[in-house]
Amino acid sequence: MDFSIIIDGLFTALQPINLMWLVIGAILGTIVGILPGLGPATGIAVLIPLTFGMEPISALILMAAIYYGALFGGSRSSILINTPGDGSSIAATFDGYPMTKKGQAGQAMSIAAIASLIGGVMAIFGFIFLAIPLAQFALNFGPAEYVMLFIFALSAVVALSMGNIAKGFLTMFLGLGISTIGVDLQSGVHRFTLDVPHLTDGIDFIVIIIGIYALGEVLYNMFNINKAKKPDQNIGSKWFTKEQWKKSLAPILRSGPIGFFLGILPGSGGTISSLLAYSTQKQIAKNKEEYGKGAVEGLVAPESANSSAAVGSMIPMLTMAIPGSGATAVMLGALIMIGIQPGPLLFENSPDLVWTLINSMFIGNIILVVINIAMVGMLVKVLHTPPKVLYPLVLVLSFLGAYTLGYSTVDFYILILAGVLGLLLRVLNYPVVPLILALIVGNDMEQNFMRATVIYDGPVSILFASPITIGLAVLTILSLSYPLIIKLLGRRKKKDHPMTM
Amino acid sequence: MYIIRLSLPVLFIVVSLIYAVMIFQLQPAMLGEPNAPRYFPLIICSGILIFSIVDLINMRKENVRQNEDLEMLSRKSTLKIVGIVLGFCLIYTLIFEHLGFLISTILFLGALLFYLNGVKHWILNLSVTIITAFTTWYTFSFLLEISLP
Repeated sequence: MDFSIIIDGLFTALQPINLMWLVIGAILGTIVGILPGLGPATGIAVLIPLTFGMEPISALILMAAIYYGALFGGSRSSILINTPGDGSSIAATFDGYPMTKKGQAGQAMSIAAIASLIGGVMAIFGFIFLAIPLAQFALNFGPAEYVMLFIFALSAVVALSMGNIAKGFLTMFLGLGISTIGVDLQSGVHRFTLDVPHLTDGIDFIVIIIGIYALGEVLYNMFNINKAKKPDQNIGSKWFTKEQWKKSLAPILRSGPIGFFLGILPGSGGTISSLLAYSTQKQIAKNKEEYGKGAVEGLVAPESANSSAAVGSMIPMLTMAIPGSGATAVMLGALIMIGIQPGPLLFENSPDLVWTLINSMFIGNIILVVINIAMVGMLVKVLHTPPKVLYPLVLVLSFLGAYTLGYSTVDFYILILAGVLGLLLRVLNYPVVPLILALIVGNDMEQNFMRATVIYDGPVSILFASPITIGLAVLTILSLSYPLIIKLLGRRKKKDHPMTM
Repeated sequence: MYIIRLSLPVLFIVVSLIYAVMIFQLQPAMLGEPNAPRYFPLIICSGILIFSIVDLINMRKENVRQNEDLEMLSRKSTLKIVGIVLGFCLIYTLIFEHLGFLISTILFLGALLFYLNGVKHWILNLSVTIITAFTTWYTFSFLLEISLP
């Protein structure tokens, strides 16, 4: 490995302009994460217009900082008011909020920040050693391999929407359907444009993403707009004790790798990683009865995994242009829009960009710990922002973001439709990530599919085009069988231990 | 409540049927295989139709009454607030290009704030509306050089 590129990346990340965007992203991300109902995906989606006119590297640094900043922030509201900022901070409520009830909110927030830092740093090292081999491997991919990779990624995302497989497939096909709107690049035929000139280029998936995540989220939050919780101003000591640190170190180090490897898998993201890290930690703990009552180990394990998963999910996004989570899907869209094409060639053509990002993530994690510990009083105040003022502002930013993408109010109609769809999908428990992922990869998938059918004389031959396609087909079958295996194992467990149920 | 639960699978079935009709109305490709632009959409259309029907069948196993969110959305008060907010969004869409960003945003944001936050907080509502509208207009038009109507 050429270490001079890494050092160059460090110097680029330390340039004042990039440091400034890093700090702004970290603060904005933390605030977005703290505010209940606004997760990292919404935060990045709404703030995309900010990146217009910026240097690509600065834009990438800003978006990544918003992403992991939101993860740091998300656990603050979990700890303080028992309301997770997004799915990945649900596990932080289990023991974080009980710590607050015991008067240890400050300690819970500071040790959670340190856990996130260590988890994040471990994952950055994992990124350094895994991303390049993966990118080099992906250079062997042709149309058939890409088709199978897309099928595997989509099936993995659907399979991980546990209990909702049919709904997962349904939203996935819907996303693919939306991606077919516009001119077919191979034949030049206008498809499903309803004679609306603005739709000739297709529907910008960022508009759909903003609609589903931001507008849908705001509409969802209207349900409880009069019942906003406010935190207690008294957070106790900011510094955790030596005893708490001793208890925390092993769970942090154990959970980081769990989060990292799960983060790499498409669709698993921070929610599954943090919940799995929590349950693993609880299973091996000697003091199981303390979990759920304010055990510090129960807080740091999911925090470390969550932060680690965020870095892990950037690997498939940057090396293969396959987003692993909703937030990385939004980032992928935004990157393409500002002229950065993620994929294996990114590591060949723009190594400076990749290494600057990695170094900025390292610096950003340290900055976030400082922000989250030193500014804890201010962050508590953010939770006092009245939702009745906040959500109208989010709506204005969403419309503004949609307008700046295509300079047409046709996108406003699409935004509103996507918002209503997002609300209904959420209320009726349909997974959203398959739709978003399908929407993003749909066009490439079709183009590669058509090319591969010509090269290999038919769609079935794509499966056997190379050892890679066979391997990906096996992985697809395995990922789709996974929920069935879990179900069967669950039934067997019930049979073996009927009394425990 | 059941109508809302039914809405999505039924909507998706209708969408897949309309999509199917539109696929058969597509112009054939001038170069290469004439039906090439139809193949991928046909697979998608079948997928939407099959899984919508599966979802509809699976609905029988679901206990709709256990879905708290659905119960909340089915309330008249929630439907009213969601409907009014969406109504403001539609009006904003209609007036945006005619009145320009600044005036339409002041009207949209002001209306939302007065509706959600109440008339009692009129100073806060007015100041947030004006500051937000001018700050975003200035940031986008001058700092980011993005032209707004």
